[in-house]
Amino acid sequence: MKFYELTNGKIQVNYQSIGSGAGQAKFREGVLDFAGSDVPLKKDIYNEFKEKGGIIQFPVIIGSVAIVYNIPGAESGRLRLTGEILAKIYLGEITYWDDPAIKELNPDIALPHERIIAVHRSDGSGTTFVLTAYLSKVSEKWKEKVGADFTVQWPVDEIGSGVGAKGNEGVAAAVKQNQYSIGYVEAAYAYELGLNVAEIRNSDGRYVLPTSETMKAAARALMARLPKADEDWSGIFPHEVMDPPGPDSYPITSFSFVIFRQVYDDPVKVELLREFFKWVLTAGQESENIVKGYIPLPPEVAEIGLRGLEMLRAGG
Amino acid sequence: MNTDKAFRLSLFFFTISSFIIVASIVVSLIATSYPIFMRDGLSFIIRGAWNPVREDYGILPALLGTLITSAIAIAIALPLSISLAVFSSELIPGKFKIIMNNVSDLMASLPSVIYGLWGLFVLAPILHQFVMMPLHMHLGFIPLLSTRPVPTNLFTAGVLLAIMIVPFASSVIREAYSAIPYYLKEAAYSLGMNRWEVIRMMLGYIKSAIFAGTFLALGRAMGETVAVAMVVGNIMRFPKSLFDMGYTISSLIASQFPNAEAYEFMVPALYGGAFMLFIMGLAINLIGFSMMRRMVVHR
Repeated sequence: MKFYELTNGKIQVNYQSIGSGAGQAKFREGVLDFAGSDVPLKKDIYNEFKEKGGIIQFPVIIGSVAIVYNIPGAESGRLRLTGEILAKIYLGEITYWDDPAIKELNPDIALPHERIIAVHRSDGSGTTFVLTAYLSKVSEKWKEKVGADFTVQWPVDEIGSGVGAKGNEGVAAAVKQNQYSIGYVEAAYAYELGLNVAEIRNSDGRYVLPTSETMKAAARALMARLPKADEDWSGIFPHEVMDPPGPDSYPITSFSFVIFRQVYDDPVKVELLREFFKWVLTAGQESENIVKGYIPLPPEVAEIGLRGLEMLRAGG
Repeated sequence: MNTDKAFRLSLFFFTISSFIIVASIVVSLIATSYPIFMRDGLSFIIRGAWNPVREDYGILPALLGTLITSAIAIAIALPLSISLAVFSSELIPGKFKIIMNNVSDLMASLPSVIYGLWGLFVLAPILHQFVMMPLHMHLGFIPLLSTRPVPTNLFTAGVLLAIMIVPFASSVIREAYSAIPYYLKEAAYSLGMNRWEVIRMMLGYIKSAIFAGTFLALGRAMGETVAVAMVVGNIMRFPKSLFDMGYTISSLIASQFPNAEAYEFMVPALYGGAFMLFIMGLAINLIGFSMMRRMVVHR
């Protein structure tokens, strides 16, 4: 890795993929110097650190959740759905594909009288957190009955129409294998694995697919509402940023974060973190450094991070 | 004299340390799961729920899922592994025997994530199309087959586990079978027994090894995490039939542990599940061994 060479092999960055929940917990214990997470720090952890010198957190990349489906005869991009219908499917209230609510939106697809198999993640994941935050935003009933989290209790399981699958690849396989199913994966997986992606109605009433344009539009619509790097982000993330305004915005767009302590004992650490994440926020945002399915931050959002890096300091 | 003493001392040391390791596992299981048992008591193990948002956990469906998938696995694997052991030691010539035994031992050492991926992408669709759907269509009136199956469910997990444990059970049985003194076999033939009768007699002779192989395999089936998590359906609900989706304790731990620390009671709940699995395994082994002792005495 370039970074390793840069420091003459003296410093190694040990980055392990342990899940957003575990990452936050270990960060809280002080085991980690920084953490990446699909959601910002929970409010209680943020407040705890506020007294101990503060927290810096900011977005580093934009991703989205794609709604994927398997209906024989309906190719990708043909199916249109709204957030309310999606919530009702996962609540177990809409159980057949020829439900009037779905038919009304899709007059030109021959929707059969088949049970909807609703696939969801069985392992705790940021993807589930983002999707359930979206469903909570668009459906009052979802918010009350289920809520948003890494893992939730899916009402659709209770009527026997839910399938739990492990990982994005598990959900993709389950959707491919089960005719008349629906599921959700990170947009990157949906395109890579050739799944059928549904158009979702945004708050302006238009139906959009998760593309880099619609994700970018969503990010721009959110820009004015983003906090500063040393502020609490849990108030608006991920719930409030779902379903943003704008005719081109994809409604289930979210950011991934990095989280730092504001004060480190070692000045070298501060310098290195600053150096590395400056790279992440500038040169790192060029398309050849970004995995397909994610998009770079608009410069204004990257600026939040760059200011945040300036706030890192060394001291006791 | 001196080496004898040293030998005994080293035996003592290794015995004690393996005992200490097991004991400390049990202690840490109890210590870590303590909060969930204090909060929920018995209701944690007699209800079904997995709702981290409300910190509500109940693991009975997963305990049942572990029992169901292991039972399916053993029911399929036992006849298969006995046949495989007999086949490879009685019926095929030397060269093929070595190849076959090596392949079987290799199967035992494959990492379980490979079985899991193969199960998800190959086995599940095949079972769904050619086994489960036909069974459900024609025999769906039988309660055990009454759920309209999706490819990933308890039955698929059971079959996958069976495939995973056959090499274990069969290698134990095979070794015992080949260790039977040759004169016994000759004596049997000289009494005028035919081949089938000889094989049956020899299998009777190694009953305890068959038991041992079965329990070794059962242990692996009950403890399997990743492979099962990929094909079991992962639904925390009381299964209505073999074709229903479910959870096992081990697959629940594999699925939920990475983010468990984000919640106050999920880590204790998962350790509680592990503790119950330990108790269940212990109980099954005790029953098994007492059964074995009775059978061996009867002979």
